[in-house]
Amino acid sequence: MSDNLKPGSLLLLFAVIILAPIIQDRLSEEAVKYVQDNASAHNGMPNEWDGKQVYCVLFPEYFSHSEYSSGVTMIGPSGSPLGVNDQYNGTGACVGGLVGFSSGMELMLNATEIAGGSLSVDYDVGEWGPYVHTIGGLNADNITGDFNWAWWSLEHNGAVSMVGIGDLVMSEGDVIIWRISTS
Amino acid sequence: MYDYHSISLSSFEMLALNVLLLSLIMLALYKGESRLDSDSPWAMLSLLAVFGISSRILLDPLPNIQPVTMLVLVVGIYFGGWRAIALAGVIAWTSNAIALGHGPWTLFQALGWGAVGLLGASLSGFLREGDRLMVGRLAFVSAASAFLFDWTVSLSILLDASTSMIIPYLINGLAFDLYHAAGNVAFVAWMAAPLGDMILRHSEIPASEAVSEVAPN
Repeated sequence: MSDNLKPGSLLLLFAVIILAPIIQDRLSEEAVKYVQDNASAHNGMPNEWDGKQVYCVLFPEYFSHSEYSSGVTMIGPSGSPLGVNDQYNGTGACVGGLVGFSSGMELMLNATEIAGGSLSVDYDVGEWGPYVHTIGGLNADNITGDFNWAWWSLEHNGAVSMVGIGDLVMSEGDVIIWRISTS
Repeated sequence: MYDYHSISLSSFEMLALNVLLLSLIMLALYKGESRLDSDSPWAMLSLLAVFGISSRILLDPLPNIQPVTMLVLVVGIYFGGWRAIALAGVIAWTSNAIALGHGPWTLFQALGWGAVGLLGASLSGFLREGDRLMVGRLAFVSAASAFLFDWTVSLSILLDASTSMIIPYLINGLAFDLYHAAGNVAFVAWMAAPLGDMILRHSEIPASEAVSEVAPN
């Protein structure tokens, strides 16, 4: 083993020295993208939430929430409203300033509890994990308009999440947003 | 008068000079070790500390390729975790204070290498069979140790940045982790066995083999 290891280790080292700059370029791009996504996802939110986790629910124009019908209400980790951002794109509420949640489901349930029931979530557990159909009393199936289908869509750091809330892994500073999508 | 010290070397020439110097130091330490009394663990550790400090400073031009991780791992295997931690702390502090820059990161480097030494001590039974070092297994563990050390040191950014920066920082450093891992495998392949033989000559008798009472006359 050690006889093969000596030339093998030199080959490995040589390969890494050749390939590492290419790998480094790709990784740097990913790191920058991650930071930009994470930072831009915090736009319009309180500065003290920078670097902390945020959970938002945005309601459609014609189905606004009775309590959050104007702008987006920013709710602190203690449950106290910090203010309303009228410039935010949509109406609803964000619960932020949270830390230490590693799963999206855990963050959602805790944020819902902090909001005091006004953002309560109903979901079915199916083959693909939890499927959220109702948030804050709005069932996506009850939304009608010039479209075939409406659903609660999950965004993670500004992009549509590739996984459901049950499989979403959270990092510090992550922002998740629920909003209605249609097709 | 000629200024004989005004020769400027390219980075490659400087690296070649440093490797030559390190080879000279290694040869001198090897010869010095052969004149030590056997069962001189602290004298042996001192020689290893000199080697670790020299290698860290002289190989600094190479990105994250240096033998200290392999060194503390092997010392952990033969001398135990506490001596490996002591060696890690001495190498980290001295090399930083002399040449590389001392600051809060030194503590994290000492902790990182200390953790590698503890890993070596805890896996001693797996990485050694009798007096023989299992070089293949050690190569694998040394590669993993590169990530253990680098990620421990990366935690030092939390002194000045939020936890949200950790993941991008680790992603950005993965190529350097690969350099470290590949370097460790090469150092293990070429140096671990002779180094282990040298250390073994100065290891104390394992407690399991020592007699607990002196035989009466």
